[in-house]
Amino acid sequence: MYVAVKGGEKAIDNAHALMRTQRRGDTAIAELSVDQIRQQLPLAVDRVMNEGSVYDPELAALALKQASGDAVEAIFLLRAYRTTLPRFGYSEPLDTEQMQIERRISGTFKDLPGGQILGSTYDYTHRLLDFSLLAAGEAEVAPEEANALSEALAAGNSCPRVLELLNREGLIEQSRESGQDDQVPRDLTREPVNYPAERAVRLQNLIRGDEGFLLSLSYASMRGYGDSHPFSGEMRTGRVSVELVPEELGFPIEVGEVLLTESEMVNQFHGSKDLPPQFTRGYGIAFGRAERKAMSVALVERALRAEELGEEVLYPTQDQEFVLSHTDCVSANGFVSHLKLPHYVDFQSELEMIRRLRKEQGARTESTTQKEADA
Amino acid sequence: MAVSSHELIAGFADPVQASQQVFRAALKVMSEPGTRVEVDYVEQAPKGLDLSTWQLALSLLDPDTRVWLSPTLASSDAVISNLRFHCQCPLVEFPKDADFAIALNTELPQLAELNWGSAEYPDRSTTLVVQVPALSAEPFWTLSGPGIEHTRSLRIAGLPDAFRAELIKSRQRFPLGIDTFWCCDNRLTALPRTTKIEPRTTAIEPLNTEQEAC
Amino acid sequence: MSTATGYNFAYLDEQSKRMIRRAILKGVAIPGYQVPFGGREMPLPHGWGTGGMQVTASVIGETDKLKVIDQGADDTTNAVSIRRFFAHTAGVETTEQTADATLIQTRHRIPERPLQADQILIYQVPIPEPLRFIEPRESETRKMHALSEYGAMQVKLYEDVARFGHIATSYDYPVMVNNRYMMDPSPIPKFDNPKMSMMPALQLFGAGFEKRIYAVPPFTQVESLDFDDHPFEVQSWDEACAICGSDHSFLDEVITDDNGSKMFVCSDTDYCRERVEQGFVGTAADLPIADLSIAEVETN
Repeated sequence: MYVAVKGGEKAIDNAHALMRTQRRGDTAIAELSVDQIRQQLPLAVDRVMNEGSVYDPELAALALKQASGDAVEAIFLLRAYRTTLPRFGYSEPLDTEQMQIERRISGTFKDLPGGQILGSTYDYTHRLLDFSLLAAGEAEVAPEEANALSEALAAGNSCPRVLELLNREGLIEQSRESGQDDQVPRDLTREPVNYPAERAVRLQNLIRGDEGFLLSLSYASMRGYGDSHPFSGEMRTGRVSVELVPEELGFPIEVGEVLLTESEMVNQFHGSKDLPPQFTRGYGIAFGRAERKAMSVALVERALRAEELGEEVLYPTQDQEFVLSHTDCVSANGFVSHLKLPHYVDFQSELEMIRRLRKEQGARTESTTQKEADA
Repeated sequence: MAVSSHELIAGFADPVQASQQVFRAALKVMSEPGTRVEVDYVEQAPKGLDLSTWQLALSLLDPDTRVWLSPTLASSDAVISNLRFHCQCPLVEFPKDADFAIALNTELPQLAELNWGSAEYPDRSTTLVVQVPALSAEPFWTLSGPGIEHTRSLRIAGLPDAFRAELIKSRQRFPLGIDTFWCCDNRLTALPRTTKIEPRTTAIEPLNTEQEAC
Repeated sequence: MSTATGYNFAYLDEQSKRMIRRAILKGVAIPGYQVPFGGREMPLPHGWGTGGMQVTASVIGETDKLKVIDQGADDTTNAVSIRRFFAHTAGVETTEQTADATLIQTRHRIPERPLQADQILIYQVPIPEPLRFIEPRESETRKMHALSEYGAMQVKLYEDVARFGHIATSYDYPVMVNNRYMMDPSPIPKFDNPKMSMMPALQLFGAGFEKRIYAVPPFTQVESLDFDDHPFEVQSWDEACAICGSDHSFLDEVITDDNGSKMFVCSDTDYCRERVEQGFVGTAADLPIADLSIAEVETN
């Protein structure tokens, strides 16, 4: 009804009040604290930090609480907050070789320097609902030896990356031309993406990208819609220190540490006239314990290198513009959900057009029928 | 050249509102080419800069804009120190590397030396800001094009003939082109690349431009 | 800082505003050309007006009076939401009267009352590229604009003529600006297209997630694409507005009961109110529904 679209002001206030009530649920049940979310739903927190592009578990947990657990809404909240933060500086490149490792898995070598470290994982759990969690029982305590091991690891020395081992033999491509400096990457939150986008921009885009979308794209690329035949060279999770060079000091100081998951994929590449056959790389990294995300990024990242590696671009997974324009869950959600906004005017325009066309067609058919009858 | 603290002067008293007002003035003259506006949000400018040039700089320049200065300005401690301190804009040696080029009317670069952008990205061109001895609505140039209902008159004093000819001719390369702001004391006007310029008269302009008020 | 929000005046930080302002100036200098800009995340979803809002936030000042419309109406939920955002973060005065506003942010309509010099109309744009549905690749469409290669659009429109006897695009109808750039006028009905040409007000366009800004300066030629034998024409209605009797404004069709009965009313609510105040009446003027729809005054 026409009247229903009026009084928008009041309707919005009421809708928001209803939403807050619904979010709180039954008030007889204790309210969830931000600390509880941070401690007990850490994987959800990690996803929000990744796609929200802010390393702050507390704010990510707050966003999850405010969003009733909707990851996309929580990511949006964190992004909108992020925009308003001033830039104090840019960190030095992180050195993941110096990671304090809590988990490290290689799919390419049975054993290797630093060893395989299973750490904490869902991988080998049988997915049977644990009904003991229904009852509020005491938390299970990890055995002494597991704790002791993980502490020892965390205090351990640097651990070379698997791909570096291959690199020493020259079996894998250089991640950059020798003698070439690291290029200062563009910041895609400050500058629009231009196509073709350089690798650093592509990686930024993917790391902020929707986990589900990237997972599906990497799945597609492995199923033949893309030339991805990878091995998981290494996947490692742990803490890495973040360093900054303050203008007035001129040397790096540690400003904190972040928990990261890094994935390096090894892909076959047949070489060319100028290059002997060697493996190629796909790289992914993510905040927190986010293996699915880091691996998906590495797979899609590799698929998107098709053009620079001289491979034929045949599938959407290899198409920069297709992939990079559609990774962002905040944009995707906004555009899909904008269909909920009124489109009365556009629809009215289409109605008018279709009625007119039908009327004209009707007139044409009638006159044809008349002519036939006359004949 | 480092920042000389004794040369520093105050910027906008209320940077948020003054930047916005000066931007609106710039938007007005860029969208209605040849109209002249006055901007009065500072009491003084660094020695060598007009009030309007200084306000335009405070409003539009920052660490993301590369700036080229014509030789006199580039050698002025006051100009450089204040731009560095208030705008933090990087200064570049060659006009073609500049997002903004600020020049005295007597030290104009050739238009060809500026960045014209590309056919795909014509927006990536240098914006030229020129300080001139006088701006008026005298019928000297007749302007037409977007932003002008019929025609508009404008006289910009103190431009070398060769530069004027070059500016008029540059319209042929649209959508490539150089957008210009013209500053005189606290006054501002603009000629974007779309504005067609017809010299109303072939008479040579008065030589004695320095004594004219703007 | 604005009143009590903890955010800068009009939400965006000054450096972001400067970047957007520079993009707007380039947009004005190259009418109809889409200037890429470092679009920021806004606290509203993409597609809900974030591009228009970033432009408004960069243009607005303390002395402005802001009007926000969606589908021509000041009281649709999204218009209310955006108006509140600026009332809250910039503390500016808002208005529903077209004549009073210095800035008008709009989605899908141009007000019926002709705009004046020194007013600024800011359009929310979902997809700024008129060629997007012909060629989805930005790298390709950019070349097409560079070379003025717009034949593909003519072909698309002509296919309509062949199939339906008309150009069947009824909104989001492509235009040529200043005889050079093909431009997407945003999804306004083609009814509004002629208002864009030689308009005394400045027109700015912001596309948030596509990160593009473009502009039409005042008194600039804007032509809707057409063919000599199929000239551009706008919608018309057999009905008049049931509230104010207007037979020359864009009408919304409103279903009034379960049997599908309908009436037509002005989509521009302020224009309709103005006419009623001037004494114009429509056929439904005595119905309570009509009173309600125009008498609802914002209670702030």
